[in-house]
Amino acid sequence: MANPVTREPSEQSVSTGRRTRPHHRFEVRSLGEVGALAVLIIVFFAINPSTFLSIGNIRTILDQAATPLIVGVGATLVVLMGAIDLSVEGVMGAAGMAFILTTENSRGSVDLGPLSFVVGIAMGAALGVAAGLIHTRLKVPSFIVTLGFWFVGLGIATVLFGTETIPLLPDGGIKAWPNETFLGLPHSFWLAVLVIAVGWVVTRFTRLGRFTYAIGDSEEVARSNGVGVARTKLYVFAVAGACTGLAGILATLRLGAGAPTVGGGVLFLTVAAVVIGGTSLGGGRGGVLRTTLGVFMLTVLTNGLILSGVDSSIQSGVSGAVLIVAIIFAAWPHRSRLRIVK
Amino acid sequence: MTQQPTEQPTQRSPERPLTDTATAGPSAGPRRRWSALDVWTTVGPLAVFIALFVLVVSLRPAFLGGGGLAIVATQATAILLVALGQGMVLHVGSIDLSNAANALFCAIVLAQALGSFGGGAIVLVLVIGTVIGVLNGVLVAFFQVPSFALTLGTLGILQAAGLIVSDRTTVYAEDTSLLTPMFGTAMAGLATAFWIGVVLAVALWAMLRFTVPGQSLTAVGLNETGALFSGVRTRAAKISAFAISGLLASIAGIMIIAQAGSASSTGLGSDLLLPGITAAIVGGTAITGGITNPVNIVFGALTVTLIPIGAAALGMPSEAQSLVYGLVIIVAVALTISRRRVGIVK
Repeated sequence: MANPVTREPSEQSVSTGRRTRPHHRFEVRSLGEVGALAVLIIVFFAINPSTFLSIGNIRTILDQAATPLIVGVGATLVVLMGAIDLSVEGVMGAAGMAFILTTENSRGSVDLGPLSFVVGIAMGAALGVAAGLIHTRLKVPSFIVTLGFWFVGLGIATVLFGTETIPLLPDGGIKAWPNETFLGLPHSFWLAVLVIAVGWVVTRFTRLGRFTYAIGDSEEVARSNGVGVARTKLYVFAVAGACTGLAGILATLRLGAGAPTVGGGVLFLTVAAVVIGGTSLGGGRGGVLRTTLGVFMLTVLTNGLILSGVDSSIQSGVSGAVLIVAIIFAAWPHRSRLRIVK
Repeated sequence: MTQQPTEQPTQRSPERPLTDTATAGPSAGPRRRWSALDVWTTVGPLAVFIALFVLVVSLRPAFLGGGGLAIVATQATAILLVALGQGMVLHVGSIDLSNAANALFCAIVLAQALGSFGGGAIVLVLVIGTVIGVLNGVLVAFFQVPSFALTLGTLGILQAAGLIVSDRTTVYAEDTSLLTPMFGTAMAGLATAFWIGVVLAVALWAMLRFTVPGQSLTAVGLNETGALFSGVRTRAAKISAFAISGLLASIAGIMIIAQAGSASSTGLGSDLLLPGITAAIVGGTAITGGITNPVNIVFGALTVTLIPIGAAALGMPSEAQSLVYGLVIIVAVALTISRRRVGIVK
């Protein structure tokens, strides 16, 4: 996707601008990711005709994809600015622990009812704001700030966990909510769809979204055009933190117990999904829907490999190989001797 | 190098050509006025380590008598080696997320092969590590893929390879007598293995400072387009940075076996990636590239190792340690990070 900020003038001056754009946007490359997902589905369906496309397995895939999808929306926004958020696993742990300790649980700490969801999301947003403030005020690269906040989040979660018994959610009630279905699909997936829709609207139609693309494209140009760069960055990190907090709550609900390590493995899955989807790590190019495709590719791949009876040892290897092949294909048409890629 | 135009050190130009004044050698010293910033970039990582060490010792004097520094140096060895490799890759503006997995894979291979091949196994592991690094470098340089994503993929492959080679169990090396002197002997109270890391750091510093290939790496890191137009072989520079990272990772793998005598996918050395990156950055390395002082990475590695050990020595509750670790890392980096190219911080 092109940068909407630079596109704007042409749309105002040429009324047909918007109509001609889609032809550019649906390049072979965009179809490539859809095609790759389709190929994966067809291959796994051919190998496991009876199990892979069963209702039960589709629900499993959608349920498994929900957490990385929600994290992926926030991660995409951050990556679109050219920054990165490595803190998700820690923030998920902190938000999940904050949530479970303020809802009805076996430890009987406090029960705030629905307010506990707010507490969990607020914990994520607060950590995001803190990371954003250190990043923008102290000019520490986001890479290292969020690396630090990974440990800070994990630390908060561990302190909340303490040395008492494991807090468990009571059976039924909210614990069962993610797996209950609406229109045949699990609630967790619908929650992810809602977050993705909001993320898409924000990136496409709001000033925050446009500024995010503008900063990723060129921070200097954005600043000289009056974009409040520091403020936008702060908002984006807060939004990303809130998304991660929500994902932490969902992961805790699915687990049925509080655990500081509830976000284990989510970071690498999300970053890989963002990149495979085609969002540039340099910033300015990509989008939320692309990340959705990336998450589904990786989730379907993992699920299909397990169903096909592939040894779990080599799953990370296959995912890694797919990531490498995907980025080589994505980069191939752009190769040029003078291109700078970090 | 000495023909550099000597700019005012206070000038912060993003296109600043070559060399960091942080390591200004004896020849450059008299001709430059050192600003407070320059002095701090040079001694910052050392000062942060000393401050933390003094803090721990003043609160818990037994730490000094109980060989605290020797423990820190021993634990820091593998982190230091991985961090030095990471520093070289960061120096050309890329990142290598796979080098810790490379180290662990090399350790597992070495544990399998040491009994039957002896010294040959060590050579084999050095070759394997370097080849993996070269492959990373070739893919980054010729296929023009972002190193972050590429090495994330390599990381997954190496993890799987490690699981397969070790058959998901702990592999015990049959005969580690060759490697016993690494941690069995000590110089000035610190393990020999740690001093090997220090020697490598000084060698890398000298390479960056005094050799043409080293200066090429710096040029690529500071301004890749400019380096390309100046006739620097930027692809070769990137590949060699990744190759050094791979080589140092394999040495880290050897040290893991020397220290533990065994290797497994979840054992000693399985969590080197983040400490390695952190050590490089606490050592003053700029993740934007071009500003790396391998000698300061030694202090970065010591600091990163000291934080959990010191926190435990001070009797901090174990559940708070990760919190302390994260906060101290952020503060240490905010203090030591190079402020030379502060135009845009991503």
